[in-house]
Amino acid sequence: MLVHSRKAKWAVWLVFAVLFLPLFALPLLVVLGASFATNWSGVLPSGFTVSHYTAATRGEALQALTTSLVTALTASLLALTVGTWAALAAAGLKKRQRRLLDALFVLPVAVPSVVVGLAILVAFSKPPVLLNGTRWIVILAHAVLVTAFAHQSVSAAIVRLDPAYEQAAASLGARPVYVLWRIRLPLLLPSLTAAAGLCFALSMGELSATMMLYPPDWTTLPVLIYSATDRGALFAGSALAVVLMTATLLVLLIVSRVRTRASYR
Amino acid sequence: MTDGIRFDSVTVAYDGNVVLDSLDLTVAPGEVMALLGPSGSGKTTALRAVAGFVRPASGRVFLGGRDVTDLPPYLRGVGMVVQQYALFPHLRVEDNVAFGLKARKVARGEIRTRVAEALEMVGMAEYGRRYPRELSGGQQQRVAIARALAIRPGVLLLDEPLSALDAQLRSGMLAELSRLHRELPEVSILYVTHDQVEALTLADRIAVMDRARLQECGTPRELYRAPKSEFTASFVGSANLLPVTVGERGVFFGERRVEVRGVVPGAATLCVRPHLVGLGAGPNQLAGVVREIQWRGATHRLYVDVDGHRVVADVPELKKPPVYGDAVMLHFAPEDAVLLSVGVGDE
Amino acid sequence: MSEVVRRVRGGGGWARSSPRPLGVALPPVLILTLLFLYPLALVVQQSFQPGTAYGDVFASELFRTALWTTVWIAVVSTLECLVLGFVLALVIAFVPFPGARTVARFIDVYLSFPSFLITLALLFIYGTTGIVGSFQFLATPWGVLLAEVTYFTPFVMRPVLAAFSQVDTAQLEAASSLGARAPRIIRQVILPEALPALAAGGSLVLVLCLNEFGIVLFTGAKGVTTLPMLVYSKAILESDYPGACVVAVVNVLISVGLYGLYRVVSRRVGA
Repeated sequence: MLVHSRKAKWAVWLVFAVLFLPLFALPLLVVLGASFATNWSGVLPSGFTVSHYTAATRGEALQALTTSLVTALTASLLALTVGTWAALAAAGLKKRQRRLLDALFVLPVAVPSVVVGLAILVAFSKPPVLLNGTRWIVILAHAVLVTAFAHQSVSAAIVRLDPAYEQAAASLGARPVYVLWRIRLPLLLPSLTAAAGLCFALSMGELSATMMLYPPDWTTLPVLIYSATDRGALFAGSALAVVLMTATLLVLLIVSRVRTRASYR
Repeated sequence: MTDGIRFDSVTVAYDGNVVLDSLDLTVAPGEVMALLGPSGSGKTTALRAVAGFVRPASGRVFLGGRDVTDLPPYLRGVGMVVQQYALFPHLRVEDNVAFGLKARKVARGEIRTRVAEALEMVGMAEYGRRYPRELSGGQQQRVAIARALAIRPGVLLLDEPLSALDAQLRSGMLAELSRLHRELPEVSILYVTHDQVEALTLADRIAVMDRARLQECGTPRELYRAPKSEFTASFVGSANLLPVTVGERGVFFGERRVEVRGVVPGAATLCVRPHLVGLGAGPNQLAGVVREIQWRGATHRLYVDVDGHRVVADVPELKKPPVYGDAVMLHFAPEDAVLLSVGVGDE
Repeated sequence: MSEVVRRVRGGGGWARSSPRPLGVALPPVLILTLLFLYPLALVVQQSFQPGTAYGDVFASELFRTALWTTVWIAVVSTLECLVLGFVLALVIAFVPFPGARTVARFIDVYLSFPSFLITLALLFIYGTTGIVGSFQFLATPWGVLLAEVTYFTPFVMRPVLAAFSQVDTAQLEAASSLGARAPRIIRQVILPEALPALAAGGSLVLVLCLNEFGIVLFTGAKGVTTLPMLVYSKAILESDYPGACVVAVVNVLISVGLYGLYRVVSRRVGA
């Protein structure tokens, strides 16, 4: 509708392909290709093997995958609870208080993850709350980092929620808590699951804060990928990266299934 | 018996803007009161003050003789139906109707019978298992009414309930609402609308609102036959409003003396309904020139220029209608003309 | 009337709020304070400990290079992401080709991958044993720039695509029937529509670039040091916590400051 002649269209598409393919498609293909290879000195990888995957799905690597999954699930759940609670509470506040609360919860996005990691390290390495060296320090850091995203997407959904529903419920005699459980939360469910998916994906790939905090017995998959590439095992690292992407996508797929079922109209 | 709804000089303001100005109005038990007015007249605000969604800056609201001004909405026990129905999209029809009963912790068996009863009343008994999105607009409307009635409210608030329906469905639903009210004669209904046909058809009394104020309140017949202000005259039905002067020697429209029912001193506007204006010679004759003529099946509508004023006349279908530019004679009976005092409601 | 009703939504009615709204907001705020604000305050406090004056850190060559590298890479990346994201979204939305929807969905998936994947891929393409050969491109800031543009462009495309879906195609048809050519339509119809989305996406990308760590870490090059990288190496590799805290405070001030500035500016623009 913007470009009418056939020739011009093809020209535009060519430019798109030249920009898009090398920048966005190539990196993923390269990682995928490398994960099946032992050698890459020419244009194409060589020495086909699946041994990286056999290694990536057992032992240390399997341990890291479960660590990542547990961390991401727990952190997302925590973040979703706190973020949703804050967003719901903010909706009932006066304008200025609401702005303040929203700003407070957006702040973790603007603060570098490495600094969040450092701050938590500084705060919880000494009594009264000694968490350094436990898995909880990693999980809490992830929760802090993704809470902002949960809060933002739930906030946006609350603004879109038609107040007519709550008012109809109230006029039928439902108290605020009943309205929250029976009307507002069910109506927000699609957005909540979307937020959960986002939090999960972010937590699965989190590296910066984790690098500052992880204890030896709580190595997440991104950390393992880094240590593999750092010692030069690029091909094994690629296989681990593919496992990470696949696991993330699988969980997102399940979440989107839940979302489709939960969305009305 | 106590009142159904009573507004006691209720004023509502947002950010210093007065949107409802000291409303005094009483709706008797079992009465249907229409709040009629253009948008921004404060009629919806008045309804929301009864439901408890706006807090009056001053004044009190009473329901069944009880002061509810400080009660939250969920303790007021009023039924409410809004323009877009607000049916809960994630609940089946039967669960929508049961919602108010569950919130009140009514026993399960009781809920089942009352849901069935309410759906039966609006003719939706078959649709209990459906979701709102699977229903047409008219059906959603019926479910919304059933949901409001299931809690057996003493007061039913209807906020432009028919405006989302097309014209044909609307007249059907109007008849349906009348029937429902006959079946539930003890329920007071506050009906907010901008549509005079709905108000005239359904209401026992009409409260005409404009610019945050109650202009006039009376039975449809009173308001139609003897409006007290130009606003009411033109908003309830259509009206010819002619400027007149009232002196000791009588009422004059320009140079012409007109006979009218009862003379109000200071009045300066004459109101005659178009269908009460006749064609040809008669009492209160006005000579004019036809500017436009519309055929409307059973009637002809003439727009006639009388000394620079437009007079509309609805006359029975004419065999030989006049054409543009024809000189015609119009007349109206003295008892069909009402004098309005200028300035009533205008400040 | 609808205007009045809309104003009621903001507040005023007390149906919406619970009895004590401030009390309800307290628990999440407490949790955030304990896990985020209090630790952050400790970092600020540590940075002022005697022994490591800010002066020492500011005087060091490493810090000043890192500061400059961080800011210019972030700003240039953001600008490139904005241009590239706008152009690519434009093609997807207004010169659609078969499969354009799949590409749009691919963008969404891309956002859920970690940033270091890009560097990992670039290691094969530009690394010492890679496709392009032993070109030490990745050890330069340009390598980081390329990776950041690649990774963050989708963050611009998504809001822009959402904004484009709101553009009325009848408007475009009207414009072109009036004889307007593509560049003119883009400038006068599409760009104003996309401006808020560009502002929102741009501010996010800017702050994410300033804070990016994974991409830089994975290059494994000593040649490029950014502020987050410096925080990490001071704290973990050198165990110099006060020094790390000083750099962290500077990094936070820049990020939050630029983010705030961008928010203000974009609000002026009409976001």
